[in-house]
Amino acid sequence: MSKHIYSDSSNPVIRVQDLRKDFGYLQVLSGISFDLYKGEFLTVFGPNGAGKTTLIKILSGLTRPTSGSATVTGFDALEGNVELRNNIGVISHATCLYPDLTALENLLFYAKLYGLDNPEERANLSIKEVGLELRRYDPIRTFSRGMQQRVAIARATLHDPSVLFLDEPFTGLDLQATSELKDRLRGLHTEKRTILMTTHDISCGLEMCDRVAIQNRGKFSLFESVNCIEQSNFKNLYTKSIQ
Amino acid sequence: MKKYFSQVTTIIWKDFITEIKTRELFSSMFIFALLVVIIFIFSINLSLIKASEVGPGVLWVAFLFAGTIGLNRSFMLEKENGCLQGLLLAPMDRTALYFGKLVSNFVFLLIMEIFTLPLFMVFFNIDLLPHLLPLLYVIFVGTLGFCAVGTLLSSLSANLKARDIMLPILLYPLIIPIIIGSVRMTGQVLAGEPLSSMMNWVSLTLCFDIIYIAISIMVIDFVLEE
Repeated sequence: MSKHIYSDSSNPVIRVQDLRKDFGYLQVLSGISFDLYKGEFLTVFGPNGAGKTTLIKILSGLTRPTSGSATVTGFDALEGNVELRNNIGVISHATCLYPDLTALENLLFYAKLYGLDNPEERANLSIKEVGLELRRYDPIRTFSRGMQQRVAIARATLHDPSVLFLDEPFTGLDLQATSELKDRLRGLHTEKRTILMTTHDISCGLEMCDRVAIQNRGKFSLFESVNCIEQSNFKNLYTKSIQ
Repeated sequence: MKKYFSQVTTIIWKDFITEIKTRELFSSMFIFALLVVIIFIFSINLSLIKASEVGPGVLWVAFLFAGTIGLNRSFMLEKENGCLQGLLLAPMDRTALYFGKLVSNFVFLLIMEIFTLPLFMVFFNIDLLPHLLPLLYVIFVGTLGFCAVGTLLSSLSANLKARDIMLPILLYPLIIPIIIGSVRMTGQVLAGEPLSSMMNWVSLTLCFDIIYIAISIMVIDFVLEE
């Protein structure tokens, strides 16, 4: 059993050291290191195949790295720790929702899996928070992509995780749904919650984050506070970084 | 431990509620089993061969093929919308996921088998009623072993590109001992022999059930890892 070392704000919530991941001969992550502290919001930009999703999968315990270390809220992410999963929520373009179940049944299912007290109450509250209480008895397959993503947010935050991983959450959303999702994410970005998001959407990504990183060929070519970056010039900086 | 059982029952609840709404699994398995029995009844001349001799084989071929459809579908549902990822992110031991899926698959297959038995009885003109209890025991033991290894392999094949093909290729060689045991026991039960006279087959099948469940518990973490 791993030791829980996360206790105060001086310890990074996410600590990644020299993380490497190979798929056969293909090196997807080639030595990523960074620290992220409580309440920080890091946006990772990068082209397709840069290893952004692999990074999130390793940090959430879904995949083991080839070498290196990663701790999230003090738990070793490499051990596939059950306690670690109590502290994280993951939102990706895959909603992880059962299409034949209603929105409420989906949330009730996850609330029970997470062992939450009063699962019915939590599921109802979560669906209300994302503004879909009137559709709670409808099957997920009848929902639009934007509505499904809102239920996915409710699913990922049911257990009030202290760390959120967002893997290209805006994929497939129209302008209205993107705007709603941004509002919801802003609401989730509190002092207590640390967020790591990967996205291709430069304006969305920069708008919400405190720190910004550019990942290319399995490495961070930039990791800075958003205040140190000239936002109007970021597109040029990004293009240069990935060349 | 209470939390563990609660997670197992939650997965079973989800599978049942999905099946009640869609009826995909039961209907496809039952129709397939029915078709297998019908094809055999037309291809076998029962005036030359005794139904009780050929019947057990036909019955288990129907269960096996129909069951494979069910097992294939079981983890395919979890792949839709990335639901498997949602399950793997939940703070639960992965054996809870295995046992939840095992129990669901087992119950769905048993229901399909119970519905197939009367049709088998009519088509093959075999009176199953005097042997019903020992026959149900044989079906229970055989189906448990089939589901134990089948659930593990369906979770493995769910991540493969050619999953529809891979499951039977991986599954059938491994369940040969269970199927041989089940067919032999069914034949002896239909011949009116008591279970006590076939303890070697009963023990063999039970041993394989236990071995497959134990192996699955040991490897499920690695199998489900992306």
